[in-house]
Amino acid sequence: MSQTHAIETQTETLSGAAIPSGRLGVWWFLASEIVLFGGLIGTFILFRHGNPEWVAAAEHLSLAIGTVNTLVLLTSSLTIVLAFAAVDKGDSRRMRTWLFLTILLGLVFLSIKAFEWSTEIGAGFIPSTGGFWSFYYAMTGLHALHVMAGIVINTILFISAVLDRLKPHEYRIELAGLYWHFVDIVWIFLFPLLYLA
Amino acid sequence: MAGERGHPNYVAVWFWLVGLMVTSVAISQLPFSKSATDVVIFAIAGVKAVLVALNFMHLRFERLLIYSLAIVPLLLFFILTAVLFPDIASH
Repeated sequence: MSQTHAIETQTETLSGAAIPSGRLGVWWFLASEIVLFGGLIGTFILFRHGNPEWVAAAEHLSLAIGTVNTLVLLTSSLTIVLAFAAVDKGDSRRMRTWLFLTILLGLVFLSIKAFEWSTEIGAGFIPSTGGFWSFYYAMTGLHALHVMAGIVINTILFISAVLDRLKPHEYRIELAGLYWHFVDIVWIFLFPLLYLA
Repeated sequence: MAGERGHPNYVAVWFWLVGLMVTSVAISQLPFSKSATDVVIFAIAGVKAVLVALNFMHLRFERLLIYSLAIVPLLLFFILTAVLFPDIASH
């Protein structure tokens, strides 16, 4: 454990407490991501309140698909945190298994999203159909891009682990996990905003 | 790292998250007033987000600096939305 994190640099705060630089960097990045998604979600809330007729447009979305995708993403958050727990226990084999499952669940999420989008586009609901659909595609599209980025990061870590090159950098599983959980939290709010409210 | 900070019961947290998701879907289908339903649904979403942040992201073990990194942009989001609400939402 101490060897695993030995090469991770530390950043001292004003109080003198040390925070690993990688973790601090990811949290800084996530702060900027909160502003990015917050701006989009905040604008949607404002316009949604000013346009009560958007309720009718939202009824065309499939609640079943949205619910299944929420379950998939929540489960992927569990698998990646279990991968990190396995790192802490020094169990590399289990870490690889959980990481692989996380990648798989991310791909399942994107596949379901792609199916959902193609169904909606097939039914004639495209971004220019109306304000609700513009926001819907912008928000779920930006979120899907983040899921893709997370899958790429997790895949790089997984390949490194399989090639036995991750050993000195296994703390990166926690950093990738922080990002992945953030993407999950964004979906936790997108789901009720688009499918339930 | 988290080894020094401890690992919560992740599976139990996941069960809570799934239970809350099912609850919010069920509530959205009940014949209550829209505004009351929305308040409950978003309160549940808030609880789910806090559960993920505290347990999966280990925020409960973090120092003040990390907390502030998470909270300051959230405060900005709430303030900006609240300030713009009376203008945009009513036009």
